[in-house]
Amino acid sequence: MPDSPTSSSVPADHPFRRKGRGTDGLFKAFFAGNAGLTIVILVLIIAFLIREGAGFFPDYRRELELYRRSGLEFVDLSRKDLTAHEQMSSLLNRAYYAQVNASCRNEFQRSQEAAAIVNYLGEVVAPAQSALQRVLDRAGEEGVPEELQASLSAKYQALLADALAGRAGKGLPPTPHLSSAERAGLLADLKSRDPLSTDDPALVLALQEQLSARQDAAAQPLEDFRAAIDAFADASVALDNLVAESGDTVKAIKEAATLHEIETTKRATLLEAAAKAKKPEDKLQFEAEARAAVTTEAVDFAPALKPVLDRIPEFREANAALSAALAGAGDKLPKRLEDAKAQRYLATFRKGMDAYAIELADTNAALVAWRNDLPIGLGSTILGFVTGREWITGGEWQDFYGIIPLFTGSLLIAVIALALAIPLGVGAAIYTNQLAGRREQNFIKPTIEFLQAIPSVVLGFLGIAVLGTLLQETSMKDSLSWIPGFPIQERLNMFTAGCLLGLMAIPTIFTLSEDALNNVPSSFAEASDALGASKLQTIFRVVCPAAISGILAAVLLGLGRVIGETMVVLLVAGNRIEIPDFTEGLGVFFQPAHTLTGIIAQELGEVPFGSVHYRALFVVGILLFAIVLGINWTAQRMLHKFRIGHD
Amino acid sequence: MENPEQLIRKGVHHDRLKEGTVKAVLGGLTWGVVLVALLIFGRICWDGAPAVLKSEFPFVDTDFLTAKTETLHVFDDAVGNRHSLPATEYHAWVEKEGSDAVFNEQTYSYSGGGIAGPIAGTALLTLLSIAMALFFGVAAAIYLSEYAKQGRFIGLVRLAILNLAGVPSIVFGLFGFAVFVLAAPVFTEAPSERSLLAIPLGFTWFSFQGWNSSLIAGAATLACMILPVIITASEESLKAVPQGFREASLAMGATRWQTIRKCVLPFALPGILTSSVLSLARAAGETAPIMFTVAVAAKDDLPWEGLSNPFGIFQTQVQALPYHIYTLAARIPSSEFTQRAQYGSVFVFLMMIFLFSALSIILRNRVRSKLKW
Amino acid sequence: MVTNPSNRVPAIAIENLRFNYGDKEVLHDVSLDIPDRQITAFIGPSGCGKSTLLRCFNRINDRIPSARITGGAIRVGGIDISRPDLDLQMLRRRVGMVFQKWNPFPKSIYDNVAYGLRIHGEKDSKVLDERVEHCLRVVALWDDVKDRLKSSAFGLSGGQQQRLCIARTIATRPDVILMDEPCSALDPLSTLKVEELLLELKKDYTIVIVTHNLAQASRCSDQTAFFYLGELIECGPTGQIFTRPSESRTEAYVSGSFG
Repeated sequence: MPDSPTSSSVPADHPFRRKGRGTDGLFKAFFAGNAGLTIVILVLIIAFLIREGAGFFPDYRRELELYRRSGLEFVDLSRKDLTAHEQMSSLLNRAYYAQVNASCRNEFQRSQEAAAIVNYLGEVVAPAQSALQRVLDRAGEEGVPEELQASLSAKYQALLADALAGRAGKGLPPTPHLSSAERAGLLADLKSRDPLSTDDPALVLALQEQLSARQDAAAQPLEDFRAAIDAFADASVALDNLVAESGDTVKAIKEAATLHEIETTKRATLLEAAAKAKKPEDKLQFEAEARAAVTTEAVDFAPALKPVLDRIPEFREANAALSAALAGAGDKLPKRLEDAKAQRYLATFRKGMDAYAIELADTNAALVAWRNDLPIGLGSTILGFVTGREWITGGEWQDFYGIIPLFTGSLLIAVIALALAIPLGVGAAIYTNQLAGRREQNFIKPTIEFLQAIPSVVLGFLGIAVLGTLLQETSMKDSLSWIPGFPIQERLNMFTAGCLLGLMAIPTIFTLSEDALNNVPSSFAEASDALGASKLQTIFRVVCPAAISGILAAVLLGLGRVIGETMVVLLVAGNRIEIPDFTEGLGVFFQPAHTLTGIIAQELGEVPFGSVHYRALFVVGILLFAIVLGINWTAQRMLHKFRIGHD
Repeated sequence: MENPEQLIRKGVHHDRLKEGTVKAVLGGLTWGVVLVALLIFGRICWDGAPAVLKSEFPFVDTDFLTAKTETLHVFDDAVGNRHSLPATEYHAWVEKEGSDAVFNEQTYSYSGGGIAGPIAGTALLTLLSIAMALFFGVAAAIYLSEYAKQGRFIGLVRLAILNLAGVPSIVFGLFGFAVFVLAAPVFTEAPSERSLLAIPLGFTWFSFQGWNSSLIAGAATLACMILPVIITASEESLKAVPQGFREASLAMGATRWQTIRKCVLPFALPGILTSSVLSLARAAGETAPIMFTVAVAAKDDLPWEGLSNPFGIFQTQVQALPYHIYTLAARIPSSEFTQRAQYGSVFVFLMMIFLFSALSIILRNRVRSKLKW
Repeated sequence: MVTNPSNRVPAIAIENLRFNYGDKEVLHDVSLDIPDRQITAFIGPSGCGKSTLLRCFNRINDRIPSARITGGAIRVGGIDISRPDLDLQMLRRRVGMVFQKWNPFPKSIYDNVAYGLRIHGEKDSKVLDERVEHCLRVVALWDDVKDRLKSSAFGLSGGQQQRLCIARTIATRPDVILMDEPCSALDPLSTLKVEELLLELKKDYTIVIVTHNLAQASRCSDQTAFFYLGELIECGPTGQIFTRPSESRTEAYVSGSFG
């Protein structure tokens, strides 16, 4: 010990004196370094996402500039009207067919079911049937080998018997719309059919006839409507031709400009190489190559575009034709259609008419005002990305990177998933924590934990192999046709994906909610009990409100998981890059869509390194990262607040 | 006390009925979820088990587990028999019978043979990633629980862990692709053009040009992903070791490192290992991070075959079970011929994952009941 | 101060009660009458079963899965509270309880007091307002909190929170109030306030209080029961228990030789 209390160092020969630096500091530094690794990783994630993504906006801006300068944008002004016109016509057509099909739904299904049976049998007997056919085809030269034919016939009969009993494959398809006599007759027909015949049995033909007769009958009173639709659809011919012709011109301009740019770049690279080259002969070689590299002239955009711009009067004329057709259509269309779905399409069309008329008028003004040398700002490029309604890549015309379709897809799927997972997850947590017996708890908790352990790719596989088909088949049932969106058109759609993601979010929400409920001090429940509250009153007035921030945090973390999940949506959501059609009402959930996560997984493997498309995917990644981080951060804040509230 | 008879219930209690209803509804929801879980499990077992089980002794059909993945050929022969053979057998058959004896041929990629490649790839990937994550994760946890005091650095570390845990797996995929595949440093004779930075070392170059799509890149990506889980779980295990152990050791004059090594780590080890088994399941189950960093759909060799040097294994691409399932699900139409490959792979995969999960739960319970302070 | 309890009908009568936690019997053959509108204090060393007995009176022990009465009976107002057709919620409404550690709900001060009334179906906000004000006045909290009735109950001091819990209990107008060491976690000043409150409440309520604090028992209670190792050793008027107990163990405990 030091002699005086103020002395600051231990005497040199004293046993308490530290010898050397010791290794402890080294160990500490080593461990601290590893802890710092987490920061490094996070920083690397952010840095590299930004590094790869940052170049996107300038590159995309350059592409858009070329798009404008070469006049593609000009043609797209009118093309947009054409697309809108197409959509309007398709609405009318959908209304028409909905009305027609509404009256022959039964016949349609009967015909389909009969055909399904025939197909099923055909597939099962195919090996024997085709072998038999081959044998007979070759029979010309040396006669039919009797033995082989007999064995094949026997085989055919065996397969046929199997099929008729429904033993092969998935079994005989069900036929709810055929009477049992019809079904029996059909099967008997098929049984007695000549092995080599592929003619359709009488019933199938009869049903087809019935169907077409019914369709004709239904179409009869709608003839005026049909004519109106066709007239409206045909009104676009002039504009169609114009757009196609000028489209070819501007595309040629763009291609020439692109080619020239590539050649210039190549020359620059070669010249650089020449400057660096050490041997004089190499240098000469490079310089010669550089001179030969550029074979095209730089494109002078204004004169090249002149022929297109000169046709503006024609464009206006075509536009006027469209406007006239639109105005005329209003009167010729039927006032009401009986079928609810058909009527909805018709109403949507009527609602869209005014907007479309205004749009056509706007185009007229825009055509004149359009200039090919206006610059495009970085701000409008970013805005174009954030609010862009199209994600088109790898096309000949022009690539667009608009986030809205992907974002809508992610959002709608998340809505479905949460609509399922919140009641189920929170409900199960309340039940398990508050109402279930101990034995029940011991079964429920591990099972739901197991659910969490199922990898997402497995759920995605099940979605493709089982759930999609199951849902689609269920939606075909007549008794369910009142549900909007039923019958489901696409096997893989947002609803299927949402269901599976809901299933993935349930364990997260369940576990965390259960924790939150568990963390509510038992003294609250005890006090409530002591005041004479019933069990339900205690649960819903004291325990749940006390745990509410924890439950909300659980829901948010579930949402984070749903938004960030990749494999399920990639496999099951249907991968159609389009803003879903909201005119379908709630049926919108049964359409396919693409998502923020899915697009990265699907396209990153196929894009050229460093291209605009490649960078766009990284920007999507940054967006995803920011969204999920924001959600998780909010959830953590909530949890934190919750803990403080109880201490 | 007035009116004590109020205490006696008369007739059916309204509250009871309500309670019964609510309980039934919530219970129905809960058991619905449980039922769905069991249905999923049952369906996969029902359709997948036949691929790896057979009816006679020893009941396990190892062919599916040990054979390589091949293209499946389905065809009829001249006498109308339908055959479904993997590529090698198919070629042998054609050799023998002649190619004009094949009719109605259909081929299904990746659906024949077995899944030895994917299993081997997943095993290598998981082991490598867990080894990396354990090394760094446990060290970080030791710092957090044993050395760290409240401060800026520690706050940052905790924030980073929290945020890392929430990063979507596909973003880890992007990160792994941008960092490990394209930018990680290697020693090379000739730096590639896209190298970020090439430092000449005289005899060789130290070039930041990435590891390409390779086992090591994939494993590193997965390791980054499970790192936060491992750190959190390890820290919990370390914190569960009573403070008294450390104080006793320090009081006897041990250094901090000696204390950690002798009096803390041994007691925390079971907990750390348990949690790492769970991360093992997570690493094995993820698809998105390995899509661009290591996985390939088809590969003729097992990962360790045809290597020029023993370290080459780190630079090979491998098949992985989750990616294999993705390929089968996304690119191959479902039919009776592909069912064996599809459901069989899913079944084997799920069994692997459940084995890890169950193991970790059992271990956890064991550790909890054994180590009580 | 000392009255003869046998003059009135007992509020709670305990007859040869035996009580188990699992296989372990923690109350052996306890018989005792709790007189109406008086304060009865339960004293005894830790683990003697006094709290357990108290928690039997409103069957709050039902919350503990292994706890059960194995013999004897408890009658509240003459009704056996173990009978199957007992309205448990009504029992708890009539027999209120204040806990050792104050446990207001994570709600506002107002909602805490109004909670009991609301769960019993009172919706009229005027009635609620009046009752809340009355109860807060009784516990002498009104003047402190009248301006922040809507703020969280957790903002109050410990003593205030405990008095809030008492207000919450009397809001439903119980006949009996059970208090499980209500002052053990309070500072002396708050304790004093609670004790004054007890004497005030005695006029309207039957009170049973479990306490470790012998001085408190002697200050407030009319009757005192001494428990030791799950047995009722002695019960009588407070003055008698503290000055001339009939049992030597009681004397040893009140004089501080053990406990």
